[in-house]
This record gives sequence, C-alpha cells and structure tokens, in this order.
Amino acid sequence: MKITRRHLISGAALAAATGGLSQKRSALASVALTPTNKRASDHVLVVLFLRGGADGLNIVPPHGEDSYYRLRPSLSLARPGDKSVLASARALDLNGFHGLHPSLAPLYALYQRGELAVVHAVGSGDQTRSHFEAMATMERGLSQDGGSASGWLARYLNSTTGETESPLRAVAVSETLPDSLRGATNTSAFNNLSSFRLMVPTGSGGTQHHTSSEAALNGALKAMYQSEKTNTNLVLRAGEETLAALDAVKKLDSTNYRAENGAYYQDSELAAGFRQTACMIKGNVGLEVACLDMSGWDTHVAQGRDTGWQPARLSDLARSVRAFTDDLGRLKSRVTTIVMTEFGRRAYENSGLGTDHGRASCMFVWGGSVAGGKVFSEWPGISEHQLDGPGDLRVTTDYRDILSEIVQKQMRPHNVSDIFPDFTPSYKQIIRS
Amino acid sequence: MNTAPTEKLELSSERLALFVTASAAIGTAGCSQIRNQTSRITGAPKVPFIPLVWRGEKSETARFVLGRAGFGADTGAVNRVADMGSANYLEEQLQDRQEEDPIVSWRVDSLEVLQSEKDAPDALYSMSDEQLLREIQQAALLRAVYSRHQLRETLADFWTNHFNIYALKNDGRSLIPSDTERVIRPHVLGSFHDMLVASAHSPAMLAYLDNNLNRRGVANENYARELMELHTLGVYSGYSLKDIQVVAKCFTGWTVQTGFKRGLPDYDPKNHDDSIKFIPFLNLTIKPNGGKRDAAQVLDALAAHPATARFIATKLCMRYLGTAPEPIVNSAAAAYLKSNSNITAVMRPILLDGLLSREYTLPILKRPLDFAVSAIRALGADTDGGDGVQQYLAAMGQPLYQWPMPDGFPSKPSAWTGSLLGRWNFAFALTAGTINGTSINLENISSMKSDNAVYRLLETVFAYPAAHSAIRRERNTLMSLRDKAQNLSQQLQELAGLCIASPAFQSC
Repeated sequence: MKITRRHLISGAALAAATGGLSQKRSALASVALTPTNKRASDHVLVVLFLRGGADGLNIVPPHGEDSYYRLRPSLSLARPGDKSVLASARALDLNGFHGLHPSLAPLYALYQRGELAVVHAVGSGDQTRSHFEAMATMERGLSQDGGSASGWLARYLNSTTGETESPLRAVAVSETLPDSLRGATNTSAFNNLSSFRLMVPTGSGGTQHHTSSEAALNGALKAMYQSEKTNTNLVLRAGEETLAALDAVKKLDSTNYRAENGAYYQDSELAAGFRQTACMIKGNVGLEVACLDMSGWDTHVAQGRDTGWQPARLSDLARSVRAFTDDLGRLKSRVTTIVMTEFGRRAYENSGLGTDHGRASCMFVWGGSVAGGKVFSEWPGISEHQLDGPGDLRVTTDYRDILSEIVQKQMRPHNVSDIFPDFTPSYKQIIRS
Repeated sequence: MNTAPTEKLELSSERLALFVTASAAIGTAGCSQIRNQTSRITGAPKVPFIPLVWRGEKSETARFVLGRAGFGADTGAVNRVADMGSANYLEEQLQDRQEEDPIVSWRVDSLEVLQSEKDAPDALYSMSDEQLLREIQQAALLRAVYSRHQLRETLADFWTNHFNIYALKNDGRSLIPSDTERVIRPHVLGSFHDMLVASAHSPAMLAYLDNNLNRRGVANENYARELMELHTLGVYSGYSLKDIQVVAKCFTGWTVQTGFKRGLPDYDPKNHDDSIKFIPFLNLTIKPNGGKRDAAQVLDALAAHPATARFIATKLCMRYLGTAPEPIVNSAAAAYLKSNSNITAVMRPILLDGLLSREYTLPILKRPLDFAVSAIRALGADTDGGDGVQQYLAAMGQPLYQWPMPDGFPSKPSAWTGSLLGRWNFAFALTAGTINGTSINLENISSMKSDNAVYRLLETVFAYPAAHSAIRRERNTLMSLRDKAQNLSQQLQELAGLCIASPAFQSC
C-alpha cells in the first residue's frame, strides 16, 4: 500500500494542532497541498420511513382493478366516481387507474401541481416478510439480507465527506440512529433540535458557578478554537464549524419556531419532526440528510377503510408533509423528500379486517426537481395469477432505482456502487434533468 | 490499611491512592467478596498530584510516547518515563512481562461476561443482550484506562478493529467475549499468523462474515473477500475476483454450531468443496480431498505473503506514527517476514526507530475512545467503565463493538471532526461529576493558591509545563477566566472541563 495523498493532507493539516509537538518536521509533513474539500451540496434529502409495512394497496388503491374490490370486500376504497358513498370515502383519482386514499387529500394538491410523484409496486428482494429483515435489507440498501452491515445513507456520507463537515450534516430526528445511518460517525440523533447545545452540568452540589453558564463555556471555547486568520488546522476548523452550528441553532430558537407561508404543524410527533427539519433547513446549519420515522403501519387487525386506524395515520402523514412543504416555500426547490416502507401488505384482507405482511408497496417522492403528477409503476396486476407467493403485490420496481436516481442527480458526486454495491440502477426519470 | 498487600505488590505510586481507596472500601473481605465489591467503589480518590519535572526533550519524548504507545499520560507518568528513558519504557512495554495491577484484574475479572466466558461459554446465551454488550464494553474501557500494559491495550484495540465484529448482527453479543479473550488478546504482541487462524475459526467471525452460509455449490464470498482485503493482503495487492472465489471454496463447510452446542465452531465435511483448487495470486494448488487442511493452507500462505507484511506494517505505522514513512514500513515489513509474523518484532522498528526519532511522525486526531480514556487517565478519574461513560462514547460516534462494517472504526481525521460537541459535553460532564459511575476529585489541586492551582491543572491535564507554547491558547483562556473568579476551588472543575474540551487535548 502506498502512502496516499489523503493521509498526508490530513496529517499536515493536523500538524499545527499541537504547536510545539512536532518542531522537528519530517520531510513528509512539510508537503503542503491545498485542501480537497469537495464542493458542498446545498441539496437536502429528507427520508421518512414508515415502520411496520405500510399497506400500499390502500394508500394508493388501484381503483381500476376489479380484483381489488373482490380481494378486499370490507377494506377497499370506493372508486373516485362512486356516488353511492360520501366524497370523503372515495379514492382521489391520480391517473384513471390509481387513486390516493382520501385521508391524503392535503397531498393531492401537490400531485396536481406536479410536485409529488407516486411510485407503486416498489420494494426489495426480501422474501422473509419479517419486519426486522426487510427493514435491515432496505436501510442497508441491499437486495436481500446478508452483505454490508452499514446503512446506505452512511455510505453516501462516508464516500462524499470533506475534510470538515457541519456537525449537523446528517441528523436523525429520533431517539436513536436508524440503520440507514449506521456506520457514519458524524451524525446526530435527537428528538429536539434544542438538545444540540452545550450541556451545562449543574455539578454535584447543584450550584451554578461563574463559568458554568452556557454563554461562558461557549465564549471560552471560542477563545480557544477561533482565530482571525483562516484556519488551516483541522481541529480548529472543526471547532469553528461546530461553534457556528451552535450559534445558528441557538438563533433558530427551535422551541419558539414559527412556520411561514400560513403553514400549520399540528400537534403530532411526525409534524414536530418535520418542523425541526424545516427549522434546520431555514437556519442554514449545514443539514444535508434528515431521517424521520413513523410507526403504526403494521395493520393486521381493524385497519380501517376511509376512517379508523390507518386513515388517521395517513391524515397525520399528509398534514405534516403539507405543512412542511408550505413552510419551506421557495426553499423547497432544494429539498427532496422520500416516504418509504419495508414492505407492503397482502392483496386480500384477512378475517380481522386487516392485512398481513406482503411484498411490494408504494413510495412518495416530492421536491422542486421531482417529475411529479405521475404514478411511476410497471403495474403487475393483482389478479390471482399475477400475485406473488401467498398473494402479494409483485415487486416490479427496485426501491434502489428510485433512491439511486434521487441521490445521484441531486446530491454530491459519488459512485453508485459505493452506496448500492453490486447493483446497476435503472433510472425512471423521476428527477427532471 | 490492615490488609497491607501494598508492600508485596509494588504498586506504582500513582496507582497507590486508587488502591488505598479500594482497600478501605473492601476492608478485610474475602476474595470472592472483593470481586463483587470492587466494581462498586464509590467516591473518587483524590488525584495524586505529582508535580511535573520538565526536562526538555527527554520529557517531551516521554509525553509523546505515552500518548501514542498508550492511551495518554497519567499523573507522574512523564516523570517516570523520562527518568527511565523512553526507549527503556517502550522495550518494557514490548516485552509485556509485568504483573497486571490487581485493581485491573479485580474490576475486569468480576464482570460476569468474562467469568462465563472462562467457565461456561454457553451461559453467555442466557445473559441479556444489554448485559452482554455493557460488560464487553466495560472490559475494554477498564483495561484501556487502568492497565499498566498500555501498549498491549492499544494493540488490543487495534486488532479488535482489524478483525472487527459487529455486536448487533445475529448473536454477535454472545460470541464476541470469546473472540476478544481467545482470538485477539492472547496474540496482540504474538504471532499474527496464529491470530489470523484463530480469527478464521472464531464463531463470532464465522457468523459475522457469513461463512456459516458458505457451502459447497453455494459459496458465500463475504469472508474470503474481507480476509484478503482487510485482514491480510490489502485491496491494492493485485489479487482478483477469481482468487476470492477460490479462497471462498477453501472455507466451505466451516460454520457455527446451533442447538445444544451453539456458539462453538464446527466443520461439516459434507458441506466442504473437496475438489482440486488453484489460487492464482498465491500460486497455490490445493489438492483434492484436503478437508480442513484447505483453510489452513490458505491462511498459512496469506500470513506469509509479502503483501500482508507490507499491509500490516503500513497500518500499524498509521496507527502509531500518524503516517507511513517508507523506511519504517520497509523495516517493519522485513521484520514481519523474518520473524514469521511476530507482532513484537514488527512493532520494534515502528516504535524504536519511528516513534522515538519523531522525525517520522505526524499528529493524530484522537478517536473518541482515545479521547475519553486519555481524559480519564489524565484526571485520575475513577470509572466503572459502564453505561454512563459508554453513552458518551456513543454520542461521540464510537459505540464500542458497534461498527457495522468489517473495516473497524475509521482512523481518518475527517471521520471524527463532526463529533466535537459530543466531546465538549463529555468534558464538562466528566469534570462536573455527572457521568454515572465515573468521578474525579481535584482536591489536591484546588487546595493550592489560585495561580498555582491553574498552572497545576494545566500541567496535570496536558503533561506540559504551564508555560509551554503548545498550550498557549488553553493557558490564556484559563487565566482570563481565573481573573474574574470568585472562588477558584469551585471553579476548578469547570476549568478542567475546558482543558479536556480544548484543541490541544484532541490530538496526540
């Protein structure tokens, strides 16, 4: 193995860190090279994962299929033109064949404006239909279990990382890091942006001392890390970057954040997550990847048709997304949001008025450059002979085709194979060139 | 003090205070009780303050050596190493023959996970996932902090990452203890070949890299690929996919037992590909019906390959020198081949020619583990190594045994520059005593007069004289805060936090 340039750059950049440490420079250390910081992407990717296997067949119902009504006598949503039921119980027509669940009405306008794209019959190669396996497969960007244990987003981050990065480059708005970010070191996980701050300990005696105010600590750190000159020292530069992010977050005052453009975030965990995300995007804190989670999609029992358990979740989803989009206003041109789930559910309903684990489901993608107003699907059909295994919607689009195109066309330059190993994506032109 | 084992055991002076506290807490309890109680010592001993006697270049080198060939200087260490000479110290560390501090053995051996590993590995399956993970992390941290075999512990960490296992994959948590105790630790300064062979048959590795799925007719190439790319030859050595495929065949049939003997390695001849095989890159023909010997032949050839010698030498140089200077890599690789992969022999030129001359070194950004351990050592903190401190490691991006990829935690600086906030919060919590199971006591320093106390604090944390130019920023900041101070002894903890959070403390 040769000494790579990278090693030298890093080492030399660090060399000033400890001042007197290496007074006797080696010949190697004096090799001065310009930093190879890659151009920072100003695009933001937001990934919302619906945990539990969301039922794509009722979220984006194929109202043009007679089989749909035969397989789901109690759960199927009425056709858009079905005057025998209230309008609020009918599917919203997307393309004459697929529709949108009525609880997703707030998204319908986005679709009509050409901002929201729907992908259907999409999924992974996972055949276990186990939540754990299927999520692990998808979050690791694989075809099925086995192989790389790191997350696909982590690999994106690692393969595009510059010398120093914003500490808020990748954020999971949740308690813990999702598998998709596993294996990236510079990531943060928090439910609330306000926890991205210097934690001032009260001390064992509980007394606040002179220096133990956040401002004093912050000031002392600035005195040590900042300098008037442009920093060539990696540690100092990273410190400046972190202090700047702290200042930015403080200014944002996320607890008192006000949405713009008449956007309204309702009182739900998901809405709060999107609100935090919008706050970070507007605050220019260097956010590039945000991961959100929503649970409650494992609808084995009493799933609900136009009202009930799943419709309530869909309503939360649609309102939160809508608030986020409205709030972003013009900024939405540099934000792409993906909604995905580990698998879809069985084509026929079960005896408990729910649905069991299946294969393909749907995805939503929206953002400024998304070729929206369209359903991207090679529809496999749901007649008896068209179903997969025990009666599941067949996967005709690999979820990596979608993810790869979004990341490749909009994020920092990288090799597809670094993120999705052993996979050649076929782009569906879901992102306008 | 009536237990008085101190006379026989020749405790180093800076450990004495710790030991005294432990003895006091234990009283005259029997040995088995000691094991249970030592992990619950409460109340930090005072940092035994030993003034730094700075002797220029000698001390500078000692300080540097302690930071690189160990997890950082603790109180008095720079004086001691400067006295005996850095070369002698390194030689002593290389020979690795001293008795372990009893305090380390007690604390580590009392962990249930290590007792089970010794007595009945199957019992590891009946422990909870939380306990397993906590205790393997605890063992690693306690050894790094308290062992006097600092070089050995840095190597244990190095090889643990070199042969990385992800605790959260399958039953990794139950399998890692045996991997640590039987594959890694016995060989850290021994034969690389033997460690490689042990690793190849380690249930943890077999499961982690899917060799349990590698069978005749349906080869799984995962282990073969990483064996060549990460464990031995290195990715740029010139082998091809064909080599990987044939090597994979040689390892078919090696698996992990399930059921009654779960967790033990197994070889199933029915699943082994016994055909004749040829590995072009190694120019190695594997005769038919070799059975178990196929794997042994491949491992022998890989361990003896010059590309492996170079790869290992380079990687060790990067770890200890921060760069890979050609002359040092050359002599380390030559030592590897000459000694049949003896790691002590490889380390000798790296440390004695590379580290000591310091011509061949570049600064290294501490990874979170190095950072946290060096802080605990510098401040003479008392830690149980448990959840409290582990949570901070996770927040800094280095949850032990939880790196999912087979390449181990990264060492490149850019992997860690985003974790400064986590480091700062760790520094403030450590010094304020708000980390569960970890405490410090700066009374010896804070009882001094104001200026002196700040100087002594700088000296304690950085092992530099307070006037040294390397800590100019830190000194100025602390002194300016001191001026406004009302009560120095109360503030000292916060000032200590700032020292740990400072730029100078992030690299070594």
